Amino acid sequence: MPEFDCQETKRHVHEFLHNELSESEISEITAHLANCDSCEGDYDVENALNNVISRACADMPPQELADSIMSRIRIIQQGVDH
Amino acid sequence: MTSTLTASRECPPRAPEHRVGSQVMTDALEVKRALFVEQALPYLDQLYGHAMRKTGNPADANDLVQETYMKAFAAFESYEQGTNLKAWLYRIMTNTHINMYNKRAKDQAKGGLDELEDWQLGSAESVTALSTRSAELEAIDNLPSETIKQALHDIPEEFRMVVYYAVVDGLPYAEIAEIMDTPVGTVMSRLHRGKKLLKKLLTDYARQEGYDVSEVEVESKNA
Repeated sequence: MPEFDCQETKRHVHEFLHNELSESEISEITAHLANCDSCEGDYDVENALNNVISRACADMPPQELADSIMSRIRIIQQGVDH
Repeated sequence: MTSTLTASRECPPRAPEHRVGSQVMTDALEVKRALFVEQALPYLDQLYGHAMRKTGNPADANDLVQETYMKAFAAFESYEQGTNLKAWLYRIMTNTHINMYNKRAKDQAKGGLDELEDWQLGSAESVTALSTRSAELEAIDNLPSETIKQALHDIPEEFRMVVYYAVVDGLPYAEIAEIMDTPVGTVMSRLHRGKKLLKKLLTDYARQEGYDVSEVEVESKNA
């Protein structure tokens, strides 16, 4: 288990925001952030960037979405057929 | 706008081919399905955008749009042809969202609150730091969508795609690695570098537009 100093905390920002860390790592980082304005600021900025990027691309639903809606509608139909 | 980002994502909904069914019931369903696909599916992009604003993240928006379409299809007989279909769909989405949200609120009532409190408490310590930070966050928040799309295009494609998969589509690193046929470590470093480039481009833009996002002290008016 690495010690989560500022350097380690900042290094893990994306893994943290994308939920790629273990529970113990998350709680270590959360504890560090609660006491470190500098790191917390970094996390806030990365999170804000993610939000605006998501929002800007919100008019582009993933390709699979239309496909899965179509196939679910077909499944409904088959269900009634039986 | 011609973008590699959008080019691969065009998904024109095609009306399904009509099969001639022997049963009246099947025929009726075929007609209903064809009509629904033809009329309702073109609103996919708008409904998705709407779902993004409601849920704030792509995974939940995806679920919400799917549930909305399933409910709309089930209730399509009650839609009165010639009336505002988009408004009808939006209403279904609003109701679906409320139901999904309530269910989730119940599911999550037990966990996660302790960490959330720690996280929030940590930010309430310094008024000066808060003011500076909120100015920067506000500057980011006010960036126009076109600027962000432009910035996405200005970074190398392998970085852009990782940012897109991770941030917009919300895919786990392992899945991105599979899609891009690279080790997870490469996904991580591309995301890191992609976000770093984007941050630089976007803060430069914000600065040009007059937002002060440097480390300038913001004095507390309440001091």
